[in-house]
Order: sequence, then C-alpha cells, then structure tokens
Amino acid sequence: MDFILHILIMISIYSIFAMSLNLELGYTGLYNFGHIAFFGIGAYSSAILSKAGFGFFPPLIIGMGLSIIASFIIGIPALRLRGDYFGIATLGFGEIMRLFFLNEAWLTRGPMGIPGILPPSFFGIIINTLPRFLILNLIFMILIWLFLYILIKSPFGRVLKAIREDEAAALSLGKNVYLFRLKSLMIGSAIAAIAGSLWAHYISYISPNEFTLTETIIVLLMVVLGGEGTLSGPIIGALTIIGFQEILRFFNLPPSLSRYIYPLREMVFGLTLVLLMIYKPQGIVGRRKDA
Amino acid sequence: MTLFLQSLVNGIIAGSIYSLFAVGLTLIYGVFNFINFAHGELIMLGAYFFYLFINPPFSFIIPFALILSLFFTSIAGLMINRFVYQPLKNSSHLTLLISTLGLSIFLRNFAQFIWGAQIRDYHFELKRGFLIGGISITTIQIVIILTSIIIIFLLYFLFSHTIIGKSMRAMSDSQVLSRIVGLNVKKITIYVWITASSLAAIGGILLGADTNLQPGMGLINLIKAFAATLLGGVGNIWGALWGGFIIGVAENLGIWVISPGYKDGIAFAIILVMLLFRAKTIFLKS
Repeated sequence: MDFILHILIMISIYSIFAMSLNLELGYTGLYNFGHIAFFGIGAYSSAILSKAGFGFFPPLIIGMGLSIIASFIIGIPALRLRGDYFGIATLGFGEIMRLFFLNEAWLTRGPMGIPGILPPSFFGIIINTLPRFLILNLIFMILIWLFLYILIKSPFGRVLKAIREDEAAALSLGKNVYLFRLKSLMIGSAIAAIAGSLWAHYISYISPNEFTLTETIIVLLMVVLGGEGTLSGPIIGALTIIGFQEILRFFNLPPSLSRYIYPLREMVFGLTLVLLMIYKPQGIVGRRKDA
Repeated sequence: MTLFLQSLVNGIIAGSIYSLFAVGLTLIYGVFNFINFAHGELIMLGAYFFYLFINPPFSFIIPFALILSLFFTSIAGLMINRFVYQPLKNSSHLTLLISTLGLSIFLRNFAQFIWGAQIRDYHFELKRGFLIGGISITTIQIVIILTSIIIIFLLYFLFSHTIIGKSMRAMSDSQVLSRIVGLNVKKITIYVWITASSLAAIGGILLGADTNLQPGMGLINLIKAFAATLLGGVGNIWGALWGGFIIGVAENLGIWVISPGYKDGIAFAIILVMLLFRAKTIFLKS
C-alpha cells in the first residue's frame, strides 16, 4: 500500500514538473534543456529555509521568486537565440547551477547535500504521512492544472500557440514575441520551483547529484511521450515513466542484478526518445490541429 | 611563475585533446548542419573499446588495439548516421538535437551496462612524471602532445591535398552545390563520419590514458568540444583546433581566478558568452 502511495506521490510531483516544461516546450516552442535548474532552485530554497524555521509556504514562495528572477536573467539574453541554441544556452545554465549547488558549500553543504528536510507544516497541519503528502501534492497538481488550463484558453495562451506555430505571423499581428516567450519561461520556471519544493519536502534529502542533465531529459521524455502541447500529455507521460522507473524498485533486485537492470532502464528511455522523434513526434495523446 | 607555466602546460595538454574532439564535432556540424549530441559518447566508446582490446581475453598489442578501437568507433558513428541522422535529416534542428540527446543517454548506459559504473583505467606504466625546468610532465602527456601534432599534420594533408578532404570542405560549404558539381555525397558522408569518429576515439583513448574511464566521460568533454567549436566558428576546422587549445588553457588558468570546483563551468560560461554575443567566430572564417 505504502508503495502505491509512494508511486502516486512521485507521479504527482513529476506531473507538475512536466506540466511546467510543457508550457514552455509544448505551448511556446521553447526547448529548455536546463529546466532542472529551476526545480533545483525550488528544492534548495525549501530545504535551506524550512530548516531555518520559515515553515512551508514562505520558502515555497521565495523559491518561486528566485526561480523567476533566475529565468529572467537567463531568458533576457538567451531568448534572442534560435531554438537549438536556446537549448544549448539553457543547458549551460543548468550545469552552472548544478556546479553552484556543488561548490557553494556554505549555503548548500556542497556534495554532502542537505539531509533531514522537515515535512511541510502550516496552519497547525503537519504533512508527515504518505496519504497526507499525496493529498497535498494532488491539491497542488489540480490547482496548477487548472491554472494552466485557464492560461492556455486565455488570449495569452492563444498568443503563445500562435508563436509556436508561426513566429512571423504573430509578429505581423503586432505581438511582442520576445516578451510573451519571456513570460512563458518565467511562469514555467516558477511552477518547476513548486515541484522542486514539494519533492525536497517529500524526499527529505537533496544533493547536487539529483539536478543533472539526465533529469531534464527524463522530464523532456515525459512531455514528448505524453504529447507536447496537450493538457493531459505531461500527466500521462509522468505516469508512464515514473511507473516504469518505480516498479523496478518494487522487485527489490539484488545488487548483482540491478547493476544491469538500471542501465538497461535508462537505455530504454534514451531509445524511446529517439524512436519517438523518428516515428511519433506527437506522443501518446497527440495534438489536434487546433489544440 | 613556475605555477603559471605548469598551468599553461597542463592547459596545452588538455587543449590538444579537446582539439581532437572539437575538429570532429565541427566537421559534422559544418557538413550536416546539426549538433551531434552523441559525439561525446563516441569519445567514451573509443576509450572503452581500447580498454576492451588491451585487456584479457583479447590482450592485443597496443597498435592493433588502437586500430580496432578506431574501426569499431567508426562503425558506431556510421550507425548514428544510418539510424538517427538519415531518417531525421529533413526534420528541424530541435528534433535532431533531442534525438541525439536520447542517443547519448542510450550509449552512455550501454557502456555502463557492459562495463559497469566504476572508474577504470588502462594501468599503463607511463603515468610516472619527471621534471623539466620545474614543470612536471608525464610520459603519457608527451605522447598526447606528439600525437596531436601528428594528427594536425595529417588533417592538414587530408583537407588540403586529398580529393576526399577537399570534397568534405566543399560539402561543408554547400551540400547542394557539391551535388551539382557531381560529388558523391553519400560516399563523402561516410568519410566525414569515419574521420569524426576516429578523432573522437583517439582523443578518448588519450584522455583515458591521462586520467581514467567512466561511462559519463563523454558528456563533459562534448561540452568542451562544443565551446571550442563556437570559439572557432561553426564548421571551421582550424578554428576548432585553436578553440580547443584556448579552452584547455582558459580552464587551467581560470582555476586561479575562480575556485577549482568551477573548472568545468568555464567551458559553459564560454558557450553562453559566445552564443549571447552572437559572435559568429573570433577567427578567420574560410
């Protein structure tokens, strides 16, 4: 039972993370390969500040704020670049953030990581059991889903989709493409910080090794597999990938076997990404022409 | 002063390896106009193939093991071409970038599946260092410098005195025009992949001999090669060569200014700066 709850909690956290990337990638056409950095900023803000006694919501909000500032700083110059160069620039930013987490030991405890992150507590409620964690995460997930639903259906969302489909057309209609992209990046980064914060509280231990390019690629895979630019796609992607990832843990494999199974699992992920790109770029859900 | 010279020498040694990676990367980039994110894994595969062939059950002599490693790395490069690049060559830059990212994860974990995640090395006796004018240098590092000098001469010969090399340069300038003047694009494509893969393998083996081997070694070196490529101007072979040396020296001198923990960050910073200031090249674009 606990195991199923654990899987559901991980799925809800990664759904939020994947939804945030989907806003940038699926709806705005921004391939952010450093997305894990914003997840990391959220996680570290919550870990450091909640241990310093600031509770649950203030660190969460500070993490979102820092994430927005960071995305603004990298977005201002990087958004002038062509799509693939934007990807490389954000990838560089992601790795520099990881080095920051690793090297600024006075703040982040460096490679030792931060253990014993407290469970979220607010208004006299302590989220310290698996069912409570699940409820909290589901509430966040549903709220964010609703927020994105409203955002996408709004005029703002329609402009984002127009930019994705045809930048020149959006420009010719007098839309400030650059500004819309920047806003999309900032909103996506703030949501990624929420996911990072929830994750840090749940896992209770974070270290710089968790914020690598591989993590970004796995979330990218969730979005692409589920169907980029759809509202349900990221959730279906997270369900599939996390389900696949965690089910292997369930069997409690001996080290002699897991040494082979884990690389094999990652090989499947890598291969899936390649095959998706070649045969089914629209993913499981697929996007209607007008979506 | 000695410390400065030592850093400079270390930088040149590291740079000569980065140059080999960068030339291969820029060649692919220039000819096919896409960033092969799996290029780092060709570096890693080259190093691991060599490890495979010099150890039991094969225990081949070094020159033979070297040739076999280059051969199998080239096969890997040609498979990337056949199964990933060719089906996707008419897709967007991003589709290609994402699929080579996926391929990079696949190959890295393939190596981990076979050889495990632990750090390995070749157990050469060449790591013993000696002092020249207060600067310590190891035998393998001298081998690295000599090898890269030889390869620079070979590349010069290839690109300016052979039909194959000239055709590659022509394709790098314009695929369409190359086709019009009757170049066999298919054949040259294969030569490009073989050249790039072999350079990656040689660099990987030298790097493995100087430091060690691990499945993740490709990615970080790809980033350095990419920084060198941007410094030299995309598709510019001699620019990439210089770029590699500059990255190597900048890293080893940079750790004086910034903390050594950020050594790998220097290449990223160079990439960001090069991209953001839209400097197409700092060297002559041929």
